[in-house]
Amino acid sequence: MTTKNQAARPRAATPKKFPVLPVVGGIVVVALLVTILLTFSGNSGATESGEPTVTGNALPVLQDNASDPAIGLPIPEVAGADFAGNRVTIARDGRAKVIVFLAHWCPHCQYEAPILRDFVDQGLVPDTVDFYSVTTGISATRDNYPPSEWLEREGWNIPLIVDDTGNTVGEAFGLSAYPFWVIVGPDDTVLGRLAGRIEADNLPALFDGVAAETAG
Amino acid sequence: MTVIRVSTFLATGAVILGILVLAGVLLWLAARISPGAARLWGGLVDSAGEQAPFLAWLVALTATLGSLYYSEVAHFVPCTFCWYQRIAMYPLAVILGIAAFRRDREAWRFTVPLAAVGAGLAAYHYLIQQFPNLSGGACSEGVPCSAAYVWRFGFVSIPLMALVSFAAILLLTAISVAHARRASVSP
Repeated sequence: MTTKNQAARPRAATPKKFPVLPVVGGIVVVALLVTILLTFSGNSGATESGEPTVTGNALPVLQDNASDPAIGLPIPEVAGADFAGNRVTIARDGRAKVIVFLAHWCPHCQYEAPILRDFVDQGLVPDTVDFYSVTTGISATRDNYPPSEWLEREGWNIPLIVDDTGNTVGEAFGLSAYPFWVIVGPDDTVLGRLAGRIEADNLPALFDGVAAETAG
Repeated sequence: MTVIRVSTFLATGAVILGILVLAGVLLWLAARISPGAARLWGGLVDSAGEQAPFLAWLVALTATLGSLYYSEVAHFVPCTFCWYQRIAMYPLAVILGIAAFRRDREAWRFTVPLAAVGAGLAAYHYLIQQFPNLSGGACSEGVPCSAAYVWRFGFVSIPLMALVSFAAILLLTAISVAHARRASVSP
């Protein structure tokens, strides 16, 4: 039997249940739509890469910047091309060289690229030193791909060799980290190698030091 | 190309989830000082409290499966910090699943420490991706933690997706605990 008090007491409102399915389903649908809109293209997915050829003995891998087993060893020679198909050759030609190896996904290389571009733009590379770049470690699944678009955005102005998917050129020079530098004397042997980025303030000293070797 | 599509899908989901988590956290903070916000928070707790453990498990499961996709299908090699975050997330997928199935109201004692540690690791990992100098001046040829396998929309990387997941788990756990307390004190 219901008493007057029970009849008068208002029933507690049942809280509405959280709409799990609509919310989760909504997130999935929106994510799918965005994915389709942003990634649908005719791209075959093939990795951008070059077909360089390397001759000569590979340099040992640089394990420690302070102790380089490659100093005094002759560099391998590389024949390759940039993204436009222009032939670029790193040869044992009696000229001092600085070779920088960059990976598109490496944030330190991304930091370094405009510094190097500006250094060249300002005419700071000595006449007796040849400056080369190699884009290596190319991977379609990693950040900042493809490297061709990255370097085009940067206004790349350094003779470039595109490495193959096996990083043949990088391995030939004993690459251990990015960015990677190989300094070559006028006798075509390794003067030194360095792994890591070089700040703008230190670039002149590097290139002037190499140039000094040519005067000696 | 498939990897890019999967990454875009997961990154979009992470962005939406991140916005929801941020809104939830701001609401919780506002509820400390505003009666109106407190009512809204109470409404959220009442409506989502029962399903919160299940939702937290869903987040952990998605994060775990996503992580396994990247390593086992896309063949991304996890860096050291990736492994630390996996150590925090993978057990959550199991514990939260069991807790949701058993309606265990005490599971937060195990899940909160894991999620909090995981969130801290993910936050630091994201930080060194944004500021690589914090982790040195070079990218090792293997798997440097400062380099990003995924970088969608200019800011979403795998550690950020993990951070959002850990934060969502913490928020959903807080909602679940608040709901359990309200249920235990209500007549």
